[in-house]
Amino acid sequence: MGSYELYRKSSIGMSLTDALDELVTNGTISPLLAVKVLMQFDKSMNEALQQKVKSKTTFKGHLHTYRFCDNVWTFILENALFKTDNEIQQVERVKIVACDAKIISR
Amino acid sequence: MPHAKLPMSRQGKEVAYANKVRCQEAQSSLSMAAELALEGSQPVDLAKHPSGIIPTLQNVVSTVNMDCKLELKTIALHARNAEYNPKRFAAVIMRIREPKTTALIFASGKMVCTGAKSEQQSKLAARKYARIIQKLGFPAQFKDFKIQNIVASCDVKFPIRLEGLAYAHGHFSSYEPELFPGLIYRMKQPKIVLLIFVSGKIVLTGAKVRDEIYEAFENIYPVLSEFRKVQQCTPRLHVCVRCVLSTGDHAASGALFGHEEGD
Repeated sequence: MGSYELYRKSSIGMSLTDALDELVTNGTISPLLAVKVLMQFDKSMNEALQQKVKSKTTFKGHLHTYRFCDNVWTFILENALFKTDNEIQQVERVKIVACDAKIISR
Repeated sequence: MPHAKLPMSRQGKEVAYANKVRCQEAQSSLSMAAELALEGSQPVDLAKHPSGIIPTLQNVVSTVNMDCKLELKTIALHARNAEYNPKRFAAVIMRIREPKTTALIFASGKMVCTGAKSEQQSKLAARKYARIIQKLGFPAQFKDFKIQNIVASCDVKFPIRLEGLAYAHGHFSSYEPELFPGLIYRMKQPKIVLLIFVSGKIVLTGAKVRDEIYEAFENIYPVLSEFRKVQQCTPRLHVCVRCVLSTGDHAASGALFGHEEGD
């Protein structure tokens, strides 16, 4: 079972990639191990977001652009309002990428 | 000038926004003009519209051939506001905001444009879509533009006895209230389909040119007037205040003015 690699671009994913790069460069681990770690990271991120994270957020805004291609929705919202349990944040422009979680698990 | 302090891009955006607002204002005043015309405060050409009512166009569907093979995935990936799900439908669905329309774009280069409120708007929208395709690098042309369907609606502002109409015009009418609450009237000349509702609201469809809509409406209007429903009470369905009061039926008025029982 594969997982989406989209969380590699998040700050935690970038940090992990940087750390692994360094370890591979100075010869502490093999490139193969680094790839394995990244694959485990993809899997763990998906699992964690599905099972561990309980907090919810809602958002709305003016839909500037949308796209649906290869089963991926892309939205660009303007003046979006994000609401979590105790916080409200306004963002001038935000891009949302949404993949179908059911497709990859098959 | 307070705007001078803003960075250029923001200023540009605001100007664009102001233009947009102005555009919307112009549109709303236009639609108001259209409404006024409908209400008769502006002269309606009675020679063309003897009924005094002009059906409003609600949807125009057109087709055009861009006459070049298209790579739909490229289009979906590079154009804005596009959907492409080949498992469901073999065309890119694209929308623009002005004129507010939707286009179906096929790999053959053929395109269907829907949602415009007039023939000119439909053509303008189709041109805009063709331009988008061109900008993505396809040698799109603009061939055989054709209006395929026009839908209009209006309100005669009186209720209609659909059953009577269906009986008298059995040849053209289909009225199955258990399936659909409107009467479907298939006019032969011009060849237009009308949906006629009890409320007096009418939908006309199937036209290639708007005069067919107008002609069909002027044809049906005398018929609608003939089957105008005369308002009367139907005691079992809803209690008519006047009837109850005039008969002085105490039980009925008690039921009507429930609060009196408690007094």
